[in-house]
Amino acid sequence: MSLEGRLALVTGGGRGIGQAIALKLASQGADIIVNFFRHRESAEKTAKDIEALGVKAETIRANVGDPAKIEEMFDMIGNKFGHLDILINNAASGVGRPVMDVDVKAWEWTMDINARACLLCAQRAAKLMEERGGKIVSISSLGSPFVLPNYSIVGISKAALEALTRYLAIELAPQGICVNAVAASAVETEALKFYFKEGLVKDVRQVTPAGRMVIPEDVANVVAFLCSEEAFMIRGQTVVVDGGTSVGLFTLVGKEGE
Amino acid sequence: MTVEEQIREIVARITHVDKNAITRESTFKEIKADSLDIVQALVAVEEAFGIEIPDEEAQKFQNFGDFVSYVEGRVAQGGKV
Repeated sequence: MSLEGRLALVTGGGRGIGQAIALKLASQGADIIVNFFRHRESAEKTAKDIEALGVKAETIRANVGDPAKIEEMFDMIGNKFGHLDILINNAASGVGRPVMDVDVKAWEWTMDINARACLLCAQRAAKLMEERGGKIVSISSLGSPFVLPNYSIVGISKAALEALTRYLAIELAPQGICVNAVAASAVETEALKFYFKEGLVKDVRQVTPAGRMVIPEDVANVVAFLCSEEAFMIRGQTVVVDGGTSVGLFTLVGKEGE
Repeated sequence: MTVEEQIREIVARITHVDKNAITRESTFKEIKADSLDIVQALVAVEEAFGIEIPDEEAQKFQNFGDFVSYVEGRVAQGGKV
């Protein structure tokens, strides 16, 4: 798998899963644009690590929850590079609450960043991919098909992202653009520490048949595959990376009483 | 409008608290600002003053006055008013 000569934009690419994806795509030869919003230092460090792999890196600050900032970001990419080969919709945010406590503000904040931004970025990215085709991969989570405690609005936004992935996959197929999503279970990142604090994850390791938690590189490996030509016939899918947790749920029934 | 007045307007707008009830000693809890309100206030203040406020700095703010003092310092270093 080689991505040599490709240009990839990774939203939220300075930390966690986004950082691992940025580094993985760079290791395959792609030049990377690292989008960040509130963590400049880690984005700049990621860019340096990318350059150390022998490819080009750019950082660009933009709040993807703000349509005007998305426009500015893609104007910059269009003016500077004239094209884009790969879009990774990774940036995410959210408010950990039960669904009955979700108010308009929490809904809009989360949906704007986790779902609407994917739509707006894909629309702009597709125009920059028109001539040469491209890949769009969005990062989802198991909070879409399953109910996780206090994860409500984030899970709902990920469901929108997965549906968007299917629609985009069909609509953009004639342009040679492959669109897919990757859904992970709890991944060992800074963001997870927030949810640990909020009580979402007690000990994911215990319920993961693969015997360890998912790490960002596990997600990045699948994303890199979906960005390769080998994945050409995979369209509109959400690939689950969870060490078997979701398909093994019923094996946990009764275990507590053992 | 001073930096403090501008930030007070922003925080009041986001938290729906009467701006006259926000003093430099007011804690975010007293203003009833949840974590989302705080992030939105940070983003709005960053945009208003053309600065970036790292999370590590924001986490040190004990009250509204700390927030204002930090922004005043950054504006004095070259942000826009």
